This record gives sequence, C-alpha cells and structure tokens, in this order.
Amino acid sequence: MTTAIEIVGLTKRYGSLTAVSDLQLRIQAGQIFGFLGPNGAGKSTTIRMLMALQRPTSGRAALLGLDAQADSVEIHRRIGYLPGDLELFARLTGRQQISWFLRSRGLSDDSQAKQLIDRFQVVVDRPVRELSKGNRQKIGLVLAFMHKPELLVLDEPTSGLDPLMQHEFEDLVRETAAEGRTVFLSSHELDEVQRIADRIAIIKQGKLVAEDTVEGLRRAAPRKMEVTFRHPVDRAELTALPGVTVTHSDGPRLALDVTGEIGPVLNAIAAHDPVDLTSRPADLDELFLEFYRESPEKEVSRAG
Amino acid sequence: MLANVIRLDLRLRRRSAIGYAAGMALYTFLVVALYPSFKNSTSLNSLSGSTAAALFGVTGKLTSASGWLNGNIYGNFLPLIMLVLTIGYGASALAGQDEDGTLALVATLPVRRRSILFQKAWAMALQALLLAAAVAVCVLIGRGFQLSITPANTITISAALVLMGLDFGLLTMAIGAATGRRGTALGIASGLAAASYLLSSLASTISAVRPGRYLSLFYWSVGDNQMSRGVSAVDFAVLLVVGLAALAAAVFAFRRADLN
Repeated sequence: MTTAIEIVGLTKRYGSLTAVSDLQLRIQAGQIFGFLGPNGAGKSTTIRMLMALQRPTSGRAALLGLDAQADSVEIHRRIGYLPGDLELFARLTGRQQISWFLRSRGLSDDSQAKQLIDRFQVVVDRPVRELSKGNRQKIGLVLAFMHKPELLVLDEPTSGLDPLMQHEFEDLVRETAAEGRTVFLSSHELDEVQRIADRIAIIKQGKLVAEDTVEGLRRAAPRKMEVTFRHPVDRAELTALPGVTVTHSDGPRLALDVTGEIGPVLNAIAAHDPVDLTSRPADLDELFLEFYRESPEKEVSRAG
Repeated sequence: MLANVIRLDLRLRRRSAIGYAAGMALYTFLVVALYPSFKNSTSLNSLSGSTAAALFGVTGKLTSASGWLNGNIYGNFLPLIMLVLTIGYGASALAGQDEDGTLALVATLPVRRRSILFQKAWAMALQALLLAAAVAVCVLIGRGFQLSITPANTITISAALVLMGLDFGLLTMAIGAATGRRGTALGIASGLAAASYLLSSLASTISAVRPGRYLSLFYWSVGDNQMSRGVSAVDFAVLLVVGLAALAAAVFAFRRADLN
C-alpha cells in the first residue's frame, strides 16, 4: 500500500505557544483517516501546514509523495480541501464561486459538481451571505470533491450539516474511499469519526496521544462494570488490580472501569459473594473523554 | 487559470471601482465646466503662495489651465481618491481576504503564491487605470471649455498618478502580507501617504520642509509642477523603482506568510 500522507516531526510554534508538537503520522492511500481532538488541539494548524497555508517551524509533511511546501502547486492540483470555518465570497452566488473554482482548476467538466449539487440539495442561486451555515458548508464540500481529487483534506467537514446531510456526507466519503481515494478528516466529535474512519488519531495540546484503528482503540477503551455484592466490600482490593478504577461505590454496589484482561477482576469479585453483575461493552466515548480530560493541570496553566 | 484571480477581485471590487471612477469623472466634469466662469477672476490667484493654499495642494496661478486642474483635481482630490482606492484594495487583497477567511481557498488552488500576488497587483493597476482614465477623459473634454491643456500632459500626469497609487497600494499589500492584518496595513500606509502629501505640498512655502520633498512620492508625481511642465523621465523612474521595490517586498512577504 502506498502512503497518502506522511508527517514527520511536524512542529508549529507561534512565539512561545506550541500549537503542534513533533507530530508523526502515516496515512495509507485509500483510507478514511479521522483526526480527532478537542477545540484548539492543533488540528487546523496541522491541516494548514499540510495545505502549505502555513510553514512548519520544524519537521515536514509529504502528500502523495510530494513535499507539502516545495511541491504545493502540484499537490493542490490533486487534492480537495475544505477549510475549517469555511468562508466563501459573500456577495457571489454558490454557482458563481463553483464555476470560478472550476475555471481556476482548468476544468471544463462540471458533471461531478452538478451531481454533488443535486445530491446535497445545495442552494446555488443566491448570494452566499444569504445562505445558512449548512448550505455554505455544502458549497464547500462541492468545491472539495468536484474535481475528483485523489486525496481529500477536510477540516470539520460536517459542521453545520443537518443529520440527513451528515449521513449523505458519510456515504460520499465511503464511496470515495471505495474508489481507492484517501480521505483525511478532522473532527472534535467522536461519533461521526468512529462511524466512517478506518483509523483514528487523537491529538491534544498539539501532541499525538493515540493512533489506532477504531477496533484497536475500542479494545483499549474501558469497560463499564457494575457489581452488587451481598455485603459491603473493601474497594481497595479491587483498585489494587491493574487496569481497574472504581468510579463509584455505594455500600454493596460498585461501579468499575476495567481496561485489559477481565479474568483477575472476575476472580476478585467472585471471592466476595457477588449477587449481580452487568458489564457494558467498551465505550470509545469514555476513552475519548479520558484523553480529553487527562492532565487537567496542564490545561489550567495554558489557559492562564 | 491565468488571470482568474484578476477577474475574481475585479468582480468583488466592481461596485467600488466603478463608483470611484464615476464620482471622480462627474466631479472633474464640473470643475472643467466651471473653468470659464473663474478663468478671469484674477483675485483667485492671490490664494496661491500661502501655506494654507499649499496645504490644499494649490500651486501656481489658479486661473491658468494647469493651475486650475492642479488646484482642483490633480494636486488633491484625485490623488486622495486614488490612494483610497489602491491602499483600500491593497489592504483587503491579502490581509483583508485572509482575515475574512476567503484567501485560504484561493491559496490552495494549483497556483503559485507569486502568481496570486501578481494577479492582485494587476487588478489594482486596472482599478487605478479606470479611475485615472475616467478623469483624464473629462479633462480632455475640458479643451472645449477653454482649458488649454495638452493631451500629452494629461496622459503622463495620469500615468504618474496611477504609478503613485500603485506604489502605496503595493506597499500596503506588502505590510498586509507581512503582518496579516488589514488594519495595520491600512494605518501604516495611510500615515505614510499623508506624510508624503504634507511633505510635498508644504515644501513650496516652508523652507524647513523643502529638503524632505524628495522623500515624497507626491513630489515625484504631481507636486513639482508636472501639470504644466509634464512628467519627467526622472519622475517616472523614481515612481517605477519604488513600485518595483514595493512589489518585490510584497512577493517576499506573501510567499512566507502564514495564512488562515
């Protein structure tokens, strides 16, 4: 498999603020890659460096085997980009902008653009300033997909879309990947990404904190377990087990987060005369929130 | 692909470009049409020579054809409107569009940054030319209103004004590209233009200011009697060199700029 995006030691500093720190990523061609992280984590900065809008302080990125900075013109020809916080020319209609961008790409074939306009029911005959956020976003999607690029870089693509259109967008992304094209999309919402992405990277405070398949992440995610014993038990014994956190205790009832193997936990529980046990499957949300919450003291010092 | 950015920006600026040109053309026509009524009011000439008159760009005899045009159009209003146009566009073309967030989509097209910048410089030149041409046409109509002015002088001084406008406009672009801020670019460029105007206009009456006039682009375009004597090759050379330097600075800054 060929590599669609390779990011090596990518770093961006603005004065004393480090927006992206030593990022390493490799994205295979034909994949749907989800780039997750809370607001302000450095997702858009990373994407802007990929698009040569910004220059890295150090490190480099290669897209389609070409250097993101030096070969940006060739890359831009073969790539589709949707900026986060998309802004279009307010006084022009969607149709005017779409045909301007088609011309700018030297394309005379507008069949794909027309198809996308139909598919997403885009309003294209009114000035953009009169359109809703969702409709503007749809025009942005048309601009990103209309030249059938082999790589798509989409920054928060579903922002402003209603659920029906989100669904349509997910189908479009799946079809795109099925044709062997690559989709790199950022989001701060886990839900949409885990539905479509083959792999996920999580970035926080400019640093990569996890990168895996959805399944791999799920395996690492904590299982929620609730146990009721006949008599109140000492939580310390369970807490001492590796990968176990007691999240709640109420007399004979305990709520646990369990990562890793479940055998030792079950043995410990069995020794204390349990009367009931429920276990919910691994929840990626929990894992994700955990990544978000981790080391809150850093958050505070940054905010201050 | 070529010239697409020019077309886009002209489309976006269409209303203001036509507005400036039409407004100045109308004003010019009035000034020209009123000339016969003032031509013999020699008392007007006593205005010239004062510092106050110099402050308003009035030099030479107001009742002469060149003095009348210089004191009412080429020495003050036209340069002002020209600079409003070029500095305004210069600030919005890069920094402004970047602040609005619209530049990202253009900068991620398969077009070099340098090409984007050159196209924007062309768009600026075309807007400036439209303004200067609209005024020049009305001035030449003035030959029917007893304004004895040669087409050659009208055309060369128009060209000099376009160049001065481009000098400041390109400088604004460079500042905008370097700082990423429309307001900063507007502020610095407008300040420089105002200082330049004062240097040139006050140099004729305040001797302390005189040596500083060489620093003023106004001096090299309209402030040195170009209306009556024509624009010299040296005048053009200075305006061109400054323009090319500003263009080079803008290219340098824009190629390195972090965009949003």
